[in-house]
Amino acid sequence: MAMKVVALAGNPNVGKTTVFNALTGMRQHVGNWPGVTVEKKEGVFEYEGQRFLVVDLPGTYSLTAHSVDELVARNFLLNSGPDVVVNVVDATALMRNLFLTMEILEMGVTNVVLALNKMDLAEKRGIRIDVKKLETLLGIPVVPLNAKAGIGVNDLKKRIYEMANGRIKTTPIVPKYEPDIEREITHIEGALSGTGLVTKYSPRWLAVKLLQRDDEVMKLVLRHLGKEKLDEVMTHIGEIEAKYGRAMDLIIAGQKYEFVDSLMHRFIRYTSKESSNLTDQLDRILVHPVYGFFALMLVFYAMFRFVFAVGLPIQGWLAAEFSDFGGWLAPHIASGALRGLLVDGIIGGVGAVLSFFPLVFLLFFVLAVLEDVGYMARVAVLMEKIMRKFGLPGKSVISLILGFGCNVPAVMATRTLEDERDRLVTMFVNPFIPCSARLSVISFLAGAFFKGNQALVAVSIYALAIVVALFSAWLISHFVIRGEESPFVIELPEYLLPGWKTLLLHSWERSKEFVKKAGTIILIGSIFIWYLSNYPAAIGTGKSYAERLGHIFAPYMGLMGLDWRAAVSLLFGIIAKENVISTYSIIYGVGGGEEALRGAMAGLLSPLQAYVLGVVTTLYIPCIATIGAIRAESNWKWAAFSTAYMITVASAIGILIWHIGLFLGL
Amino acid sequence: MGKIERVLSLIREGERNPAEIAGKLGMSREEVEGIIKILESMGYVERIEKGSGACETCPLRSICPGSCVRKTATVYRVTKKSFSLKQDHI
Repeated sequence: MAMKVVALAGNPNVGKTTVFNALTGMRQHVGNWPGVTVEKKEGVFEYEGQRFLVVDLPGTYSLTAHSVDELVARNFLLNSGPDVVVNVVDATALMRNLFLTMEILEMGVTNVVLALNKMDLAEKRGIRIDVKKLETLLGIPVVPLNAKAGIGVNDLKKRIYEMANGRIKTTPIVPKYEPDIEREITHIEGALSGTGLVTKYSPRWLAVKLLQRDDEVMKLVLRHLGKEKLDEVMTHIGEIEAKYGRAMDLIIAGQKYEFVDSLMHRFIRYTSKESSNLTDQLDRILVHPVYGFFALMLVFYAMFRFVFAVGLPIQGWLAAEFSDFGGWLAPHIASGALRGLLVDGIIGGVGAVLSFFPLVFLLFFVLAVLEDVGYMARVAVLMEKIMRKFGLPGKSVISLILGFGCNVPAVMATRTLEDERDRLVTMFVNPFIPCSARLSVISFLAGAFFKGNQALVAVSIYALAIVVALFSAWLISHFVIRGEESPFVIELPEYLLPGWKTLLLHSWERSKEFVKKAGTIILIGSIFIWYLSNYPAAIGTGKSYAERLGHIFAPYMGLMGLDWRAAVSLLFGIIAKENVISTYSIIYGVGGGEEALRGAMAGLLSPLQAYVLGVVTTLYIPCIATIGAIRAESNWKWAAFSTAYMITVASAIGILIWHIGLFLGL
Repeated sequence: MGKIERVLSLIREGERNPAEIAGKLGMSREEVEGIIKILESMGYVERIEKGSGACETCPLRSICPGSCVRKTATVYRVTKKSFSLKQDHI
């Protein structure tokens, strides 16, 4: 006996795959739908000695011909004639789910079973569904389910079996529209009567789809009705559309939605306030225009507290290991030059940077937690409002948030902004956002000079950078003509507990790139810096290339309380920001690693100077890769202008902080 | 004018936050997000792919510590189809 075919239809993320797995167990086959790269899953189950082939249709929100997924699902329901259609719906989001149910029933499909999944969650949220009433209203069987726990699956199998064998009679409901539209539907149905189409498809569905100007249905009707008659129908539709003054597909969708809405109160009631779930309660604070910012500052402060509290001890241990290694290796190398290169240059430079791996890992870990929990979407909503006030396009918020990881992909992400002006302004301010490379420098200086207040110092530098970015956007937006911004909306996902294993794996994936960078750019940079610092004469003689280079800028650096060493470090920091630390390490000749470097620097810099260095490093210039990205996404002039602007701003702020600090006696 | 059209209308007017749209229309945030999904399926709004997409095409992909930045937020923008509607009628 041929297997009965069961189609599973429903919205995405309603647990359709869980229902599919619960029905079929391990007997599954995965392939593609013919001609498209949409996954097709089939499986088999047996009930009462009868075998059923279950076909999992792509998840869709409606059955228009707008996407391939929708077309695949629609064509299967229309043309393959499944014996049973199981419409899986999410009991916690019935409005949008029943919208699709109405689309299915409107197609004239009568053999539908509604699988009311996630009933356990609905119960928890205080949603009470009268299943019997729903069944009567829809005119089709309804099976409550908790597919994850396997509850109700056997009942679903029973209903499928009964329907496939003609033991259930259904009287499906179809959405009703306003009288004008209903009249038009009747008119079109009349025009279609007598054609071969009505024997295969529901005339009402064809009429509704014609009203919605569905391309596929128009082609179908054209073949059966001819151009002249179709034009006549479409002219009629144009007239009713003109009367409404809006597109008919939107009017029909709207009325269909209202139809579902009118059914809802007849079978559903809420035992707790409908909107008071945890997500909404948290959002009242986290996306609030005032409290939201306090919460944001608190979250960032807590993030740095955590990163420093956990990361610094590990970093200290790692730095000591590099120091011990350098100390062990030095006596084994006879050649002074080679010893200097390996111990001071490579181990000192690369080691100083590598010891920050725990901090970088932890930062990525916390950022991944914030992303997976759903908080970063709230940050986007919160920042977007502020950014618009400062002349930045709202959509640039995502690009700017990317900048906390790395400014290069953040600059490249500006491609998704349609307006040229928006792109230019966003990539102009993007390098002010402190990337993870700058975190190494900030955390090094904060740890060395501000024990006990590292998190506060780090947050203050981040906050200053964001303020500078906003101010720059406001300034530049006065000079660049702005185009129209296309409206958009940011989705706020439910807050979810993250999967810890995925988080750890992902944080490792992101931070291991940091190690790769240390082994490539930083390594080459360290060798280069070591050479410049030791040739033609050793550093300290005033004759090394590095000193000579540094002394050119020394008077300028003096304005902000810094010396030639800072000049050299910042210069090499243009290659990669981590080089600021490795350069200091090489200049001081502390092959002993980061701890020794802290000791050496603490004797020469005051906390105020260290703070100025941290701020200037964060603001002064994007790394060479970011400049390249700006050039690639705009032009040389814009890249050069951005660079010059950043140097000017960083210098001005550095000088200001230095002199205010001196004035305050810091 | 029904809920679907009112949500689209508010997005076109510049409202970015589904929670605020929900507040203005007296519905839940989930319902607004459901309507946005329906509007997407009808071609009135479209999802903007950001985040990791930028990293995948980045020349620094192999050495950049900030690569693989994951989903930050899902953004839907209004499509040209929506602009073909007369705003005053929605």
